[in-house]
Amino acid sequence: MIRGSCLCAEVRFEISGALTGSSHCHCAMCRKAHGAAFGTYAAANASDFHVISGADRITRYRSSPGVVRTFCSRCGSTLQWLRESKPDLVDVALGVIDGDPGVRPSSHIFVGSKAPWHEITDGLPQHATRPGAPQQN
Amino acid sequence: MLSGSCLCGGVRYQIDGALSGALNCHCSMCRKAHGAAFRSRAGVRATDFHWVQGEELVTWYETSPGTHRGFCRACGTKLLSRFDFDPSVYGLPLGALDDDPGVKPARHVFVAFKAPWFEITDTLPQHPELPR
Repeated sequence: MIRGSCLCAEVRFEISGALTGSSHCHCAMCRKAHGAAFGTYAAANASDFHVISGADRITRYRSSPGVVRTFCSRCGSTLQWLRESKPDLVDVALGVIDGDPGVRPSSHIFVGSKAPWHEITDGLPQHATRPGAPQQN
Repeated sequence: MLSGSCLCGGVRYQIDGALSGALNCHCSMCRKAHGAAFRSRAGVRATDFHWVQGEELVTWYETSPGTHRGFCRACGTKLLSRFDFDPSVYGLPLGALDDDPGVKPARHVFVAFKAPWFEITDTLPQHPELPR
């Protein structure tokens, strides 16, 4: 069982399955939302994601059409990235996982938008936007 | 001058002076607060920092005695930290800046507590906790 919680611990959740498909996202919206160099997410099946406490603290913000980001209304911890077109998936912000999530980020995405004050120095694949997207000249 | 804003644009700030002491903090509280691998922050003099718009949207949470972290209540963007023990300086998360601050994090602190899923691969100095 994978467990997670926000900073104030009012929001607690459990993930009964595995997390998959993790990546570091350097898009400007992730940078803003997290207030950090980048966001790191991994996907869970929505049916595996169980809120144990603090459901009323989970605040939703629609950051672009069809995309909702959630955070704790008390402490501000960034929690999830949700696509309304894929309600069966929950992208979980790895920073709120307690312990080892059992998955490792395997790529950097939206590096074309990365912060000028952050350098990527690992050997993971980098994508200007999403993997498989046409390269822009 | 530097400008910053939250994701929804409701909160905007300006900074008239220089940032100092930029670093990446890997403590578990920063990881939780940002929901990210680590927090990149710099110091800013309180007299140099000005809310331009939406200060009323900033929700403060006291994460440890005397340390308050502010975020936008509409979109959750982490905006600023203030300290009861030193009101003359704020902690500024770099992620909400709209401009290049011209400084980069120069070290990693609290690496003893870093996320197991993130490896530090740059050559910046690493400190197990916060060096004094």
